[in-house]
Amino acid sequence: MPGPAEPSTPLQELGELPGRIAATFQSLQAASTVSFGASEKDAVYREDKLTLYHYRPIAASANLPPVLIVYALVNRPYMMDLQPDRSLIRRLLELGLDLYLIDWGYPDGADRFTDLNDYINGYLHRCLGVVLREHRLESTTVLGVCQGGTFSLCYAALHPERVRNLITMVTPVDFQTSDNLLSKWVQGIDVEALVAAHGIVPGEVLNAAYVSLMPFRLLQQKYVNLLDGGDQAQIDNFMRMEKWIFDSPAQAGAAFAQFARWFFQENRLLKGTLELGGRRVDLRQLTQPLLNIYAKQDHLVPPAASTALEPLVGSRDYLALGLDVGHIGMYVSGRSQRELPQAIAYWLQRR
Amino acid sequence: MTSESNATGDWSAALQKAQADMLRQWTEMSQAWAATGSAGAGAPAAAANASAPEGGPESLGRAFLQQCEGYLGVSSSLWELLNRSAGTPDPEQRARHFNDGLAGLQQQFASLWAVPPPGAPPAMAFGMPGMGGLPGMGGMPGMGGMPGMGIPGVGGIPGMGMMPGMGGLPGMGGAFNIPALGPTREQQESWQRLLQLGARCAQAQMQLSGQWNDIIGRALRELGERLAPRLKSGAPPGSMKEIYDLWVEAAEGVYAQAARGSAFVQAQAEVTNALSQLRSAQRELVEEWTKQFDLPTRAELNSVHQQLRELKAALAGTRS
Repeated sequence: MPGPAEPSTPLQELGELPGRIAATFQSLQAASTVSFGASEKDAVYREDKLTLYHYRPIAASANLPPVLIVYALVNRPYMMDLQPDRSLIRRLLELGLDLYLIDWGYPDGADRFTDLNDYINGYLHRCLGVVLREHRLESTTVLGVCQGGTFSLCYAALHPERVRNLITMVTPVDFQTSDNLLSKWVQGIDVEALVAAHGIVPGEVLNAAYVSLMPFRLLQQKYVNLLDGGDQAQIDNFMRMEKWIFDSPAQAGAAFAQFARWFFQENRLLKGTLELGGRRVDLRQLTQPLLNIYAKQDHLVPPAASTALEPLVGSRDYLALGLDVGHIGMYVSGRSQRELPQAIAYWLQRR
Repeated sequence: MTSESNATGDWSAALQKAQADMLRQWTEMSQAWAATGSAGAGAPAAAANASAPEGGPESLGRAFLQQCEGYLGVSSSLWELLNRSAGTPDPEQRARHFNDGLAGLQQQFASLWAVPPPGAPPAMAFGMPGMGGLPGMGGMPGMGGMPGMGIPGVGGIPGMGMMPGMGGLPGMGGAFNIPALGPTREQQESWQRLLQLGARCAQAQMQLSGQWNDIIGRALRELGERLAPRLKSGAPPGSMKEIYDLWVEAAEGVYAQAARGSAFVQAQAEVTNALSQLRSAQRELVEEWTKQFDLPTRAELNSVHQQLRELKAALAGTRS
């Protein structure tokens, strides 16, 4: 890897470019075997493609109810536990929390008819049932992340008696805020035709949409910046992130179409017109303590999309916590690693 | 800056050498991969179209070199222009010269962004006589992927021109609206629909390309405006990387506005919707073909999945 020293003239810069490219490529090759995941866990329940994991404790118990982490269907949940020094899960384990996580797996052609009711009233409901049975509890804490936060809101509104505390993280509630570029693009898409054409929607399609939000940066500049130099650890971190970004599961067709239509195009959650399994999802049913964590620099889920939750819920114990990070920074940034786990543990201890 | 402006020959020679070095590196890497059993071949310029297993060293190398090529193209063009402008002694003239030159880069930059990235679908080729494929499909400016763009399989269906009972349908190219006749009229109509959808995709692609061309032009003007004060004060960017970063910043700013505009949103949605329709029509044709060989079809599998789903629900109901 070339050192950080800058060439003195552009002519020299040009002359050095091929060498820098070669050296950077060598580092990328060396990094291609980087490992992922930092915390030990056990599979405690499996159903279809889904696995429910229970993390092994690494510190004395904080004597709090277990926390079920509900991740999004898009992307993989190992972003929550990427590497030892960038792991929200590890930080929470260090604080003595008892953690479960739903890994939705990789849907395939057999999942094309799996819909949102299956995910929320089916899989999520049964996973929570496993946790409650294991701990002989009537209710516990649910922590929903991004789209998983939206699922958690729906679930908690439909089954409030099973959710003792609800934590949402970078969770969209209002899908049509003016600063939501992704939402603007989705409005004109014939989602039913898209799903009919694909059956299950490939992760590449979603990735294309995400990188298209900032194409000059995300399709080129971030790779060019590697030429500026850095040590192997930085390259390893880059490759881990790169893997996570593009390790995108396909989306079950029916669930994708419903999510795009009902949430993005019709904004039903916000309007109170969403129905799942024949029941209306009424956010006023959320009366349990609610911690809503959002990222102030989020370009995927703008802050306003998350903070729209407050006036909709019935809870009198509602706290919105904004961190000065981006969407991905919420999982891996230094600031988030320092501040977020403590904030969650502190909030839980007082309830 | 001044010394650079007096060394245009040096710059051109250095640029050629850098390009040659990159080509040599790619060749060496390809040979190394070939020696280890990977299918390596070609030069960087051909890299985008080469096929290799995704995630392997070759695909990683191809993707990375492609980005570096793009960087070299953008940054060296901007730097050359800056160099030429620096030879103008009057500050106002210098900024104007730079701005005028930027306009000349629009086509070059737009074409750089029209190269599909790895994983983008190749140009469509239906194998239809008289059709010859629709150039540019999948080559969305710089992305190959608005929502719905990265559609695997759009790039042509093997053997589609040899469907049983069709014999390639000579003379179909352009025959969108000729009434279908004879024993194969149903198949003819299917092909006509495919042609119509292909044309719709091409039209949508052109609309979106136009949007992208406009964005690149506006981004270049924005870069000129941002750099004008520095050129006038004699403090231009000092490196290729610096001017490249300024370009990206300007381009993202312009794009962020344009991508929210109704024209862009509509053009992008039309591309996605047209491709969805085309893909479904392609699959219907494939299904007709597979049925004739008594092979399982998607519709058949869907039916089985639906039945399984209903059975599972019934079983769950019984248990509860």
